[in-house]
Amino acid sequence: MSPGFSPRGERGGRGGFRGGSGDRGGRGSFGGRGSFGDRGGRGSFGDRGGRGSFGDRGRGGFRGGREGGGFRGRGGGRGAPRGRGGFGAGRKVVVEPHRHEGVFICRGKEDALVTKNMAVGESVYGEKRISVEEGETKIEYRAWNPFRSKLAAAILGGVDQIHIKPGAKVMYLGAASGTTVSHVSDIVGPEGLVYAVEFSHRSGRDLLNVAKKRTNIIPIIEDARHPHKYRMLVGMVDVIFADVAQPDQTRIVALNAHNFLKNGGHFVISIKANCIDSTAAPEAVFASEVKKMGAENMKPQEQLTLEPYERDHAVVVGIYRPPPKQKK
Amino acid sequence: MATFRKALKSKQRNHHERAQLGSRNYLGLLEKKKDYKLRANDYHKKQNLLSALRKKAMEKNPDEFYFKMISSKLEDGEHRANRASWDVEVTEEQRKMMRTQDIKYVEMKRVADARKIERMKAELHLLDAKGKEENKHTFFVDSKREVQEFDLAERLNTVPELVGRVYNRPTLETLKTKSIQGATDKRNLQKLARQRGHQYTILTQRIERERKLYVISQKIQCRREIQDKTKRVKMSNETKEAAAVYKFESKRKR
Repeated sequence: MSPGFSPRGERGGRGGFRGGSGDRGGRGSFGGRGSFGDRGGRGSFGDRGGRGSFGDRGRGGFRGGREGGGFRGRGGGRGAPRGRGGFGAGRKVVVEPHRHEGVFICRGKEDALVTKNMAVGESVYGEKRISVEEGETKIEYRAWNPFRSKLAAAILGGVDQIHIKPGAKVMYLGAASGTTVSHVSDIVGPEGLVYAVEFSHRSGRDLLNVAKKRTNIIPIIEDARHPHKYRMLVGMVDVIFADVAQPDQTRIVALNAHNFLKNGGHFVISIKANCIDSTAAPEAVFASEVKKMGAENMKPQEQLTLEPYERDHAVVVGIYRPPPKQKK
Repeated sequence: MATFRKALKSKQRNHHERAQLGSRNYLGLLEKKKDYKLRANDYHKKQNLLSALRKKAMEKNPDEFYFKMISSKLEDGEHRANRASWDVEVTEEQRKMMRTQDIKYVEMKRVADARKIERMKAELHLLDAKGKEENKHTFFVDSKREVQEFDLAERLNTVPELVGRVYNRPTLETLKTKSIQGATDKRNLQKLARQRGHQYTILTQRIERERKLYVISQKIQCRREIQDKTKRVKMSNETKEAAAVYKFESKRKR
């Protein structure tokens, strides 16, 4: 639901210019309207759509030519499989395991945070893919853009724990179009589960498409303020990740935590200072949010600002209903 | 008789204008009276102007009002506006661009750059880029004693050498069990690092260019907006880095 997503996302802005799929659809309908009239000539508008798509294919081809490197281009997944994907990729990149299980760092010509792609051959939001051959097996990774994902930004900022690991059950509040959710689903793997909650229908539609390809995502198009509406779908979870960018964010997370988070489970909250209080200093906003968490039985453990990637954002990681301390 | 006069004329030498002497050739063509008149008139006009100006300057009352009497002054006999060089609103580069290019073109170039930046950022994540903004990491602990005893490497469960490597500080278990895949030989790695550095250079240049184009397009836009006579208040002056900001009177449009 995060409203912060749209300015950040390049796809939203792009539609108008670039002739993304939406734009082409628009042209197609233009053609349809032309056929209403008696001027047969207008019908040729429809042709333009065809031409556009041809051009698009051409562009894909160009990208294909360029991607000698590890990463495959944006169009690569959509077009017909041409040539060998990621030719000689193994030699052109170094993939090192990250501190957080399921996350990797890929360094070649690129300098990227990646996750192992669960749906091989598919790009979710046009991100780059890289395949690495280790002997017989070929592993595909997807780049995870920290400029678009708060979780990725936190990981690169050096957060101690994200608690999202293979096999974990994660509740993701504010899933938006499912870009970050897809990476979370990569991390938790087939053993884990991601309940992706998103309020907006529009981005929920994209989320559904992501979930079609990834069986470990359960999309929920509901208001996260009313967890009782989806209580039938959700079991107990290990982690709640929230990126809702609402003034009452902490309350929303607390509501969901009381309903679904197990005792001693963890929460990861991304806070956008502007959305909580645009007049106060960001540090003060973070401090007040941390204080609110304390009142809800959520004990913060660390806080991290997301500096080179986002301005005035922080991620707070903590534990819910921590087990009582053993006195020695 | 006329016939004879004409016959005589045919014997005459043709009339030639006086030419410059060969020895005085370096002075150019010989000056004729009409040339002299032009030169002399011009000279006298200038002399008269100078003497008129001189007279005006001598008779000037320094206390009398004139425009820009505060914001300008004479410096070694030259008229100068009282303005520091950093106070220039439009740089030479911007002026050239604004004179020759149209806002649509500037915008188009800027958008192209912005797209390219976006695409490059998708695979260049500033892992250990120099001069990137530092973030702030806070750990919450329960007691003062824990604060005193706090050790970052221990808390992060990693080796002390890796503490500064913020983008990836593998835990001890990861270091023991997992291995690095892909290119490993030194020459290959150096080559990759060089290519990576080059990509970052390109990215910085693009970001810089996009920023400059943005300023230019804003300035062109601003000049265009203030051409009509809508009531407005200037909120901030134009600088090298930003267009002027105006607040326009809101007007109901139908």
